Amino acid sequence: MRTAKMFVALAAAVLAMAACANQKEPAEKAVAQIESSLAEFRADAEKYAAEELKSLDDSISTLKAGIAHKDYGKVVTGAPSVAAAVTTLKDTVAKAKADSDAIMAAATAEWGELSQSVPQLVDALQSRIDTLSKSRKLPKNVDKATFETIKTDFETVKTDWTSATREFTAGAAADAVRKARAARAKAEEIHAKLGMNS
Amino acid sequence: MSTENPYAQYHVVKKGDTLSKIAEEYYGDKMLYPKIFDANKDILQDPNKIKPGQRLRIP
Repeated sequence: MRTAKMFVALAAAVLAMAACANQKEPAEKAVAQIESSLAEFRADAEKYAAEELKSLDDSISTLKAGIAHKDYGKVVTGAPSVAAAVTTLKDTVAKAKADSDAIMAAATAEWGELSQSVPQLVDALQSRIDTLSKSRKLPKNVDKATFETIKTDFETVKTDWTSATREFTAGAAADAVRKARAARAKAEEIHAKLGMNS
Repeated sequence: MSTENPYAQYHVVKKGDTLSKIAEEYYGDKMLYPKIFDANKDILQDPNKIKPGQRLRIP
């Protein structure tokens, strides 16, 4: 009787080990598949969804730990939800990338207009400010204090414009456009103060 | 072909205008009239001869 019990226990253990060994290949294959899918868009994920990527990497590490501990059944059971998370992340990254590309395209188009109008505005103002700086008197619409403020503000406009062009060259189109818009608004204000829009 | 600067200022000459008067109006100093003459050499040959209706750029 005792021998029979031992035999049954041994048989159960052997069967369990065999079942476990049978799960090894599917478990390793599932993790390899997940890593391969993620590798296809990892670079974009790092750029557009870093936090979600980190969470997914943690889940993959858990699966790998399961393989290391020969807990193949747990890996096979857990792999589908991680694979689904990879698909979800892929969609999220694609959408974020499309949004970013659209913003970049709009900023680049606006930059085309700004890079033409701001230098024209700066040229017109520079010429007038240079001439007024040589004038013995100022025109009726501009008093001395206002002219001093205008000169200071104009230097700021030129500095901001230089900074905006530098940012655009460095690839930061959206930031460049934001700065350029502010520079143009300030320059248009000066243009009006000098009575040049009449 | 040069493109006109949309932010440049222009003055349409009226009867009785002189470059000195125009310089005084825009710069506060009539002695700066050569600035206007130099900027409009394409249409002016003599700073003392401007005609009503002429469109002068005020640099």
